[in-house]
Amino acid sequence: MKKTRLNSAVIVVICIYLILPLVLTFFYSIFTEWQHVLPGGVTFRYYAALLTDSSFLLPFLRTFIISVAPVALCLVFILLAMYVVVVHLPWLDRVMQLVCTIPYAIQGIILAISVLSLYSGLPGLLSNRVVMLVFTYCIVVLPYLYQGIKNSLNTVNAPRLLEAAQLLGAGSFTAFFRIIVPNIVSGISVSVMLSISLLFGDFVIINIVAGSYYQTAQVFLYRQLFESGQKSSAVVVILFAVTLLLTNGALFLYNRRAKKRNAREEV
Amino acid sequence: MAYIQFEKINKRFGANHVLRDISLTIEKGQLVTLLGPSGCGKSTLLRTLAGLEAPDSGRVILDGEDITGKDPRRRNVGMIFQQYSLFPNMTVRENIAFGLKMQKKLPAEEINERIARVIDMVELHGKEKSLPAQLSGGQQQRVALARSIITEPKVLLFDEPLSAIDAKLRKALQLRIKEIQRSLGITAIFVTHDQDEAMLMSDVIHLFSTGKIEQSGRPIDMYTAPRTRFAAGFIGHYNILSPAQFEAVTGENRGCDVAIRPETVEVQPQPFPERQDAYRSAAVVEDFTPHGNILRYTLSVGSVNLQADVLFRSVLLFEPGQTVYLSVEKKNCLSIA
Amino acid sequence: MVVLRSFSAPGGGVTLDNFADIFTKRLYRQAVVNSVLVSIFSALIGIVIAFLGAKAAHGAKTPLRNFFMSVLNMSSNFAGIPLAFSFIILMGNVGVLVILGRQLGIGFLTDFNLYSLNGLLLTYVYFQVPLATLLLIPAFDGLRPEWRESVSLLGGGSLTYWFRVAVPNLLPSLLGTLSILFANAIAAYATAYALLQNNFNLLPIRISEQFVGEVTQHREFGSALAVVLMVLMVLANVVSNLILKGRRGGGRS
Repeated sequence: MKKTRLNSAVIVVICIYLILPLVLTFFYSIFTEWQHVLPGGVTFRYYAALLTDSSFLLPFLRTFIISVAPVALCLVFILLAMYVVVVHLPWLDRVMQLVCTIPYAIQGIILAISVLSLYSGLPGLLSNRVVMLVFTYCIVVLPYLYQGIKNSLNTVNAPRLLEAAQLLGAGSFTAFFRIIVPNIVSGISVSVMLSISLLFGDFVIINIVAGSYYQTAQVFLYRQLFESGQKSSAVVVILFAVTLLLTNGALFLYNRRAKKRNAREEV
Repeated sequence: MAYIQFEKINKRFGANHVLRDISLTIEKGQLVTLLGPSGCGKSTLLRTLAGLEAPDSGRVILDGEDITGKDPRRRNVGMIFQQYSLFPNMTVRENIAFGLKMQKKLPAEEINERIARVIDMVELHGKEKSLPAQLSGGQQQRVALARSIITEPKVLLFDEPLSAIDAKLRKALQLRIKEIQRSLGITAIFVTHDQDEAMLMSDVIHLFSTGKIEQSGRPIDMYTAPRTRFAAGFIGHYNILSPAQFEAVTGENRGCDVAIRPETVEVQPQPFPERQDAYRSAAVVEDFTPHGNILRYTLSVGSVNLQADVLFRSVLLFEPGQTVYLSVEKKNCLSIA
Repeated sequence: MVVLRSFSAPGGGVTLDNFADIFTKRLYRQAVVNSVLVSIFSALIGIVIAFLGAKAAHGAKTPLRNFFMSVLNMSSNFAGIPLAFSFIILMGNVGVLVILGRQLGIGFLTDFNLYSLNGLLLTYVYFQVPLATLLLIPAFDGLRPEWRESVSLLGGGSLTYWFRVAVPNLLPSLLGTLSILFANAIAAYATAYALLQNNFNLLPIRISEQFVGEVTQHREFGSALAVVLMVLMVLANVVSNLILKGRRGGGRS
């Protein structure tokens, strides 16, 4: 009994430490002033102002575009590559795995400066900062997407399904995109959501690669960090809420899938 | 000419020689079992017929046509896998219809009619709209069967289809599959490691060990006349005695191993009268285990242990430590290689 | 590419000068030292807290545990600039807690300087704790209740269990997590950048300066710094692997 209480105490203390900054930031954003122990009146005018301010909405929109586009692009590439690997060249699987996990090791700042130093001098499309950013982001999410797809393929036992489809007369392209892909969609969507939220919260790469060329919400937040505390905290709350939405959406999908799988076991 | 012919099939996976010069013929309309322990090559042979593995050398002939290099989807071969491998995103009906849709030339009426017929055959009424995940293992396997037979394949291949299904249900499915195979008159090849399953279902059994065929024959012949130590060990629960052990029990040396089925060993408390056509010996009861309606005694003759089955008729006949007498007819002591 | 460039001189040609500069110029040597210090301490503090947290979660009832997990998941998303900002309004010069401390007379809160090594440490620990705890909880779940029961049947107490059975079994996860935390902290950029801009000497900040600095850019030198960063990350991994290997080898003999 004493033990459980001690455990609970430890958990509660850690939770307070972790929640405190979040809660206070939220409160900070809705109080008119906070110069004394107790804050002043409650207001939502900072939110109202932000949501009508195009200098915030535009970067916010840009963040969405730059988070979603690379993930979509990367997804298409991986699926095509996976088709080739699963159907035609199984021995390439290990190579692909290796290539796809390299970005784990080259994170954040190192990736950013590598890309910058490699391409910034070149003429043409590749040295366009936005293009550079999109492709860098593709690299960032590559391992997460790959792993997600790979795990899903394993759970549906892809080679066996392909064989079954083939014996029933289906071509391998039909089989892969009509049978395998629909079956791993829910698995993929989890890693897609996580990847998007990862890019959504990025500041390192955007600041180094394209900070002044393509202003996202994160850059916007940084720029005006020192102007109005309340306004910034409202931005923080909005960004955080979106991130939570994305990751919880992913978790929700994941749980629903798990539930579906359990339902089978009971029968 | 036989309906299916394997000619000198060889297949290696790296250093592992899984199929060694296998030649085998199968007659039309038969249900043939490839029986053997896991890793003996039986599944690989099946997959060369489906076109899912290409043999390193040799030919596969189906219905008079050499199909060795043919694309699996043009072979018109049906296959049922151990893991069901139903398409999880499709309903039962869509799964069953998949093969017909791929052929693309049938009118909708005919498709509906054929689906109704096979659903009838595998008794899955009311489940047409279910997803595979909502079905039990046995039901899923019936869907897989329906999906395979609807295209009227030339041969139906079963790759350990029942080993993930619990024992009671398995018996029922074995009989159901056999029944359907008979009624359609379809040729079927069944891969299993379960000798009881092979005994129950097959017209012919081919027993595999490490890449080659150990013995082929009707189930009854395989059971009563194993020709090798491996066959005797795999089918039935034969006592297998080395020449020296056999000599210790019977006083006779045949110069080869001898296999004796436990149910052919007679046991009684007093000595047997001498007979020309039987061996006799005294023995000590070591232990016994009940197997349903049979009591299996472990007897020792000197240093040799021997198992004897006695029908279990409500009383325990012998106690461990007791001296008993045994007799085996000579014709039941099989010389094996 | 980065590695190659790190060995080249600004005008061309191969040189080790870039590396020599890092270790002779005080500014850069200090950046390396600071980075390593912050990373080591934040990783250590983080893992101690996470260890206690994961241990508590291991023994906690399901509802509390679920709540804890969701708090961890939530706060693990809170990083980078938003995190730095949050700490600024909490503990910064006119931060809420500082004002509170001033008015209630709590010296510790008033005197706390967020814009220092300690302040940086505090924010770093914040993002280390959820990550580390989430990584350790599965390891704790791998501890089987039978082990504890066997220890007590064999006459050992709770301490014996923790030091002789539990911790040795958790060691791989602990070391692995520690090296992840170290790498995580040493490469962290956004938090430090938002909190201190270029006013504090940290490796990632110095690196980015060489590439996007308003003044002059020294890409070759920046590459050399980046190589040092990579080497440090790899080193952390190698050290934890070596400890593990050494332990296993010792166990066998």
